[in-house]
Amino acid sequence: MKVFLLLLTIFLLLPAALPAQTGPVLVDAPGNRQLKLAVDAPRSMDAAPNTAAAKEIGDVIAFDMNMSGMVAAETREQLPLPSALALAETDFILRLSGGYDLLVRSEYSIKGDDLTVEFRLYDLLNRKLMTAKRYLGKARDLRRYAHSFADEILLALTGEKGCFTTRIAFVSTRTGNKEIFVMDWDGHNPVQLTSNGSINLNPDFSPDGREIIFTSYKRGNPDLFKRALSHTAEIPISHRKGLNITGAWSPNGSRIALAMSKDGDAEIYAISKEGEKPVRLTVTPTIEVSPAWSPDGSRIAFVSDRLGKPQVFVMNADGGNVRRLTTAGGYNVSPRWSPKGDRIAYARMQNGGFHVYTINADGSDNAQLTSVGSNENPAWSPDGRFIAFSSKRDGGEAIYVMRADGSGQTRVGQIRGSGTQPAWSMR
Amino acid sequence: MKRGMIALLALSMAALVAGGCANKEVVKTEEPIAKPAPAQVEAPKQEAPTVEVAAKAEPEAPKPVEPVKAADGQGAKASEAQLAFEAIYFDFDKSDLRQDARDVLSKNAALLLKANNSTKIKIEGHCDERGSAEYNLALGERRAKSALQYLITLGVSADRLSTISYGKEKPAVEGHDEAAWAKNRRGEFVLVK
Repeated sequence: MKVFLLLLTIFLLLPAALPAQTGPVLVDAPGNRQLKLAVDAPRSMDAAPNTAAAKEIGDVIAFDMNMSGMVAAETREQLPLPSALALAETDFILRLSGGYDLLVRSEYSIKGDDLTVEFRLYDLLNRKLMTAKRYLGKARDLRRYAHSFADEILLALTGEKGCFTTRIAFVSTRTGNKEIFVMDWDGHNPVQLTSNGSINLNPDFSPDGREIIFTSYKRGNPDLFKRALSHTAEIPISHRKGLNITGAWSPNGSRIALAMSKDGDAEIYAISKEGEKPVRLTVTPTIEVSPAWSPDGSRIAFVSDRLGKPQVFVMNADGGNVRRLTTAGGYNVSPRWSPKGDRIAYARMQNGGFHVYTINADGSDNAQLTSVGSNENPAWSPDGRFIAFSSKRDGGEAIYVMRADGSGQTRVGQIRGSGTQPAWSMR
Repeated sequence: MKRGMIALLALSMAALVAGGCANKEVVKTEEPIAKPAPAQVEAPKQEAPTVEVAAKAEPEAPKPVEPVKAADGQGAKASEAQLAFEAIYFDFDKSDLRQDARDVLSKNAALLLKANNSTKIKIEGHCDERGSAEYNLALGERRAKSALQYLITLGVSADRLSTISYGKEKPAVEGHDEAAWAKNRRGEFVLVK
């Protein structure tokens, strides 16, 4: 009876629900034109508007949405409407006539440290509210809330949330030493994590995003350390003789794959997340480094020079079924498996520098994504939409982000010193 | 053929050294040994190592390298401060020892065999800036281990030797040309205690 009622309810609701946004709603502009999004300047609910904060809110959403490639976003002045959020039918015409398809309206209030901000996304063509969010929190979280609403916009447009509240860890020489930093995905809010004055390399996030592993020479040997983002303690988890490098957290967080040389040359091992129970996965007299897990944890891509020059190989997570992945190019390194599992990003040495490529996990459909300057160490965003990498195109070396097809290459790392070896946090 | 002959020659020279017949010629040709500071004899403990490679000790490690006490038995033993180990150099993406590297390793082995048995060295493997940082860490280690193996072949006890790789993290010289790269693809020999 209950089931019947439920079914009846669904049946009755279905026709009404169809035009609304249930599940993925791929919004397409007529004639393959890119959708245009107007981001109206947020309206202040306070007596004294905070124009800097208002501008920041609009800029964050416009930047995120432009980077997504889904829409062309523009920040606009506020329309002289009686309400920022509850729009009348006629209000849509003002933006429609400007050639826009979508509209973001928002209101904010900042009282001391307290921030309230509320967003609306409208489909102008259908005169319809697509999504709405209200955030209550601290003023310092203003950018985060704007990023969070950008995530919601992508969800409304594509059925999949964005990754705009995620962060990128990287190696910076800002202090004169190589230390691990973390920043928002768009380069804002850089925070120095390690400050041990030694050489710190190759950060990787735990799947829950709370911890990183990295290699440090702080004890005189390249050892693997773990630390929480919220805590300064750096815990050695593999300090075996020789190299303990290129640690990669398994997708379920239970294991860490890394390269160690305790038994001779660098080989791939898997250890527990506490650093115990090492299992050797490769047995060769050659160099094996840079393991990268497939998102289901069943396979590992890695670099080996068993055929003379470094190339990317793929094996099962137990070390079996080794296959060569990259067959073109004399020097292919730094594989990273896409979160969807279909493609593997890597860096190829050519013309004295590197370029970022992606290739299907079965070795087909190789594609070069970068062509300006030298670009390496690709790292996927958790939704697979973007790839972060380090580039020397502007002199020095900094963290860049591009879409997975290579478009939209944008510098995000802005701090002094070189930025290298990005790692993207999970959502 | 020619290469083989030279290698054989180097090995036989080394065998002489290893046989306990201290080869004074080799030692004398070591430039730094010709100019030891007199002060070193009086206060060897306080003296910072004048050896260039020793001065490049990792800054974060408080005392990975320090001058060792003068040899008890004095005599033929070289004082630690006199142990000026030359660096060796490699070809791009290679860890096999060139002839010049073998010559230098022979000299370094001679120095070690002459020195007190407690004298230990750490062999640092380095790379130029061109390869990937990750692969270079492994390549630098392979270079250090090539040097280690050769020193063992020349009679140096394995327990006096250790290795560490810095990949391309600690270039000897800045620069983005072959001249700089050639100087950075190297093995350095650092005294440890």
